[in-house]
Amino acid sequence: MADFQTSTQRAKWILSPQELGCRYKAANQRAIEALEKFGASLMEVDADGSLSYPDPQINLKDHADKHSRPKSLSIEEEQFMRVFYENKLQEVCNNFHFPHKIQATALIYFKRFYLQWSVMQHNPKNVMLTCIYAACKIEENHVSAEELGKGISQDHQIILNYEMIVYQSLEFDLIVYAPYRSVEGYVNDIEELFHENAEMLQMLKATASLDVDKIMLTDAPLLFPPGQLALAALRRSNEVHGVIDFNSYLDSILSRQNSTHTISELYEGINAIESLVNRYAFPSEKDLKHINRKLKSCWGLGSNDESKKREKKSKHKSKRSSNEMQNRPLHN
Amino acid sequence: MAVTAPGQLNVNESPSWGSRSVDCFEKLEQIGEGTYGQVYMARELKTGEIVALKKIRMDNEREGFPITAIREIKILKKLHHENVIKLKEIVTSPGPEKDEQGKPDGNKYKGGIYMVFEYMDHDLTGLADRPGMRFSVPQIKCYMRQLLTGLHYCHVNQVLHRDIKGSNLLIDNEGNLKLADFGLARSFSNDHNANLTNRVITLWYRPPELLLGSTKYGPAVDMWSVGCIFAELLHGKPIFPGKDEPEQLNKIFELCGAPDEVNWPGVSKIPWYNNFKPTRPMKRRIREVFRHFDRHALELLEKMLTLDPSQRISAKDALDAEYFWTDPLPCDPKSLPKYESSHEFQTKKKRQQQRQHEETAKRQKLQHPQHARLPPIQQSGQAHAQMRPVPNQPIHGSQQPVAAGPSHHFGKPRGPPGPGRYPGGNPPSGYNHSSRGGQGGYGNTQYAQGRGGAPYGSGSMSGAGPRGGAGGGGGYGVGAPNYPQNGPYPGSSGTGRGSNVMGGNRNQQYGWQQ
Repeated sequence: MADFQTSTQRAKWILSPQELGCRYKAANQRAIEALEKFGASLMEVDADGSLSYPDPQINLKDHADKHSRPKSLSIEEEQFMRVFYENKLQEVCNNFHFPHKIQATALIYFKRFYLQWSVMQHNPKNVMLTCIYAACKIEENHVSAEELGKGISQDHQIILNYEMIVYQSLEFDLIVYAPYRSVEGYVNDIEELFHENAEMLQMLKATASLDVDKIMLTDAPLLFPPGQLALAALRRSNEVHGVIDFNSYLDSILSRQNSTHTISELYEGINAIESLVNRYAFPSEKDLKHINRKLKSCWGLGSNDESKKREKKSKHKSKRSSNEMQNRPLHN
Repeated sequence: MAVTAPGQLNVNESPSWGSRSVDCFEKLEQIGEGTYGQVYMARELKTGEIVALKKIRMDNEREGFPITAIREIKILKKLHHENVIKLKEIVTSPGPEKDEQGKPDGNKYKGGIYMVFEYMDHDLTGLADRPGMRFSVPQIKCYMRQLLTGLHYCHVNQVLHRDIKGSNLLIDNEGNLKLADFGLARSFSNDHNANLTNRVITLWYRPPELLLGSTKYGPAVDMWSVGCIFAELLHGKPIFPGKDEPEQLNKIFELCGAPDEVNWPGVSKIPWYNNFKPTRPMKRRIREVFRHFDRHALELLEKMLTLDPSQRISAKDALDAEYFWTDPLPCDPKSLPKYESSHEFQTKKKRQQQRQHEETAKRQKLQHPQHARLPPIQQSGQAHAQMRPVPNQPIHGSQQPVAAGPSHHFGKPRGPPGPGRYPGGNPPSGYNHSSRGGQGGYGNTQYAQGRGGAPYGSGSMSGAGPRGGAGGGGGYGVGAPNYPQNGPYPGSSGTGRGSNVMGGNRNQQYGWQQ
């Protein structure tokens, strides 16, 4: 049976906290290296999906005193940026009334993408939109790029340009297991075991589902399997509603599943998820402003070098026809 | 610009992100060609391993990466079974690529995307069509059992293949059979509540419920195809070589009897039942026509070719059939004879020459205007008429008997080829497809000339006969193109048929049904 046990998610995309830290650090480091080498770290993604760094500034050496060079983002600042756009991602999905499943898939794509890249290399806004677009495709809930772009007043060509980079960064591992279905499964199981009344269970499920939304915004989906995420959500929900004795429920799960997990491992996992939710921090407006300014200069889009921007634009025009296509307004 | 295309970022064996470059492989020869792109036999430089590379065409995609390719990748990554082709990895090619003529291939995504598969020596159709080839009974049982085992695994995992046919069943020299070409496959839910497109499965292997316009269906559609293949293996030739949907249904009714509320409760509510219901009584004649089959084979075939999909045997039950458990038993795959690979360079050259010859011959025939709008199968269809005489009566008077659309429709079931590639109303392009009609389970039609006509004794036409479905472009031919434009197929003119010049192609893939 092809399920989570045999999935690429389990095999490749559930990391240890140490691994996760290393991945973030390595992505950050690569961007810093690019910044040092090219003076800016934002990669251009072409209509054909090819990537390029901006031209190294010719007189970089002469002016290369450390102060004039853009400052890179720290790992924590990168984290804040991702947090901000993950919230945006949920917002966009809610505005489109997409099902939970799509939102979760898009979020996980976004998280996986930034295991490979730094926000200094790829604008998280573009990546966010492309992840939503890809998630809709994969979950058989197709929305055209144009429609998606229109819905949030963004050029949909950017989505199409980024699509290939996103798939490649995901290593084409497109099937994602989200905790929402696990929540349903557990609630059904609880119903059979405890014969609780339907209304209580409905409340338990509804709150748990909101808790999953919160969990999905943390690093937890990169660290724990969906079943454990669901249990953590259910425990939080149960604390509110007090429907069942949760610890004895966990015992019963383990005893019925011949699980290789011990009860203490399970507690440990759920506690860790819980603490990720509790520690979750959203950047303040001030933080955001500061980070955004830094980020823009990393991207080579600082406000102080209008001339460079213009130069870039003109180069754009003379580029291949595919690029012209890309810039042409779309009238059908 | 400090340009780094995807491939160049990771030419090395272990890229820091994404996929390896196609440069890790050396292309040996092209072994398939279809609307989707090309299939190559290739060697991995590092290991020397032989693989098949299937290129994903990216042009004319308003919606980016083709959904069919996404589904295929998604499904193949999920399925791990000895009777399902293994997708090893996805690789990319950095620079602009050229087509066979050395011209840039007009691909918007200049780098190519390739799916890397394990290499298989044959496909069932190709093998069966080798001159002088005769399968033994244990061999047929062995292939059938593997086919059913693989399909059962797909169905358990809620995947419908939707293009089961001989050319999509790949066979290696160890006698292993694997399902391939999941380009039309998709996941289903058990409640059969989703509307799915009925424009799937190569015409000759398409079940009656799809021909009658059903959009809610399940694994039974694949089992009908299995029944067709089973009968074909025993009978020596395709049993329902229809040239268009009406004729296809007619052929089915002639053998399986006409459907009615007794043998198929609910059939009268299927969308196009009234358009197609036979005007005269027709009895089920399977036992009579195939009286030379052994008892257990006949019994199983009866259950597979059951009109009512809800009564049709499942893959699981078919595996339990007496047929597989009585002497002679299915043989061990390893005991099967090893055949010379169908992709041999020398034979390919020969095939190409033959194909050119046949194409020239056909183009000449096409000069006659009255043929210009007809799909090629019409001609070869007659070659099979000897099997069972088919009264040439139109089932529905007002309807054009065959696909009346411009021939570029032929190549379109999978989406990718755009209007530019197959100029509308240019008949020869349609013929290009069908003349290659049939092999190539990696998902692209292979050069089919090796098939010759010989084993079927149906004359020179059968070389061109699209096993791949009436006009559908062989391994790719999903038959969809043959829907009459003004026939009782709702949506066929507006939604998916390219009437909307820009979006027609997309609609087909993303439209109201999937």
